[in-house]
Amino acid sequence: MFVINCPYCGERDQQEFKAGGEAHIERPKQPTELSDDEWAEYLFMRKNIKGVQFERWNHAHGCRKWFNMVRDTSNDEIKLVYKMGEKPPLE
Amino acid sequence: MLNYNSILKDEINHNGLSIKEISPIMKLNLRGKKREFFTSVGKNLNMILPTEANTSSSSDKLTSIWLSPDEWMIFSNEGVQKDSNIYELEEKLYNSISKTNLGAVTDVTDQLVLLELKGENIFELFASGSPFNFNEFKDKKGSTTQTLLNNIDVIIHHKDQNLVNLFVRRSFSEHLCSWINDSASRL
Ligand SMILES: [Zn+2]
Repeated sequence: MFVINCPYCGERDQQEFKAGGEAHIERPKQPTELSDDEWAEYLFMRKNIKGVQFERWNHAHGCRKWFNMVRDTSNDEIKLVYKMGEKPPLE
Repeated sequence: MLNYNSILKDEINHNGLSIKEISPIMKLNLRGKKREFFTSVGKNLNMILPTEANTSSSSDKLTSIWLSPDEWMIFSNEGVQKDSNIYELEEKLYNSISKTNLGAVTDVTDQLVLLELKGENIFELFASGSPFNFNEFKDKKGSTTQTLLNNIDVIIHHKDQNLVNLFVRRSFSEHLCSWINDSASRL
């Protein structure tokens, strides 16, 4: 169990949130020009880092807003929470 | 309000805590972010929507609850007509907001059930089934939150001391009430 600071509602228990996978994956501008391998790379391949990872989260049982989070997957330490559309911090 | 049966046949009473359904209450969901949306809602409601998270505002007829930065719930403080589900306020809001694409107005009167909890043990009951931290909430009249209670989505409004409004989806309401009945009996 850990507490997440929703950028809109404030600190809430993890139970209220849903994880939404890796953040900042850009949809290719011309999908029709991609090979199957390149399309699969975009669609399925994720980094799944042990350590600091950029993720999307949704406050599913609260304000229902999506936001970004920088989390250390090895110890669940949350480094930073920031809104959708904001630039990811440089490490 | 459509003619639904009451979800609670009898008031729940345990350990100085009482729970009953309040019906029929008009409930509207409002969504929008443009500046014109706020001015139009303000004019129609004679009330300013709360912009601070987890708060509410009230007039003599209505209460509005902050749900998200662009979403609110409005409900009538008093009962409305039972034999009709047309509300003058909804029509006014619909015409000035939905039709002009400033935002969305949705009637959720029949979607949500309003339960009124009264007594000193309200937050003890919540603590037995919710991950939300009620420490600041219970000292602040008018505070609101959306959270989980026994894993069911609820909207909670701190109306007054020892008096709380709880909104729950109709389809979950009987399940929640049976949990409340059980949990309140063990406080
Ligand atoms: Zn939130």
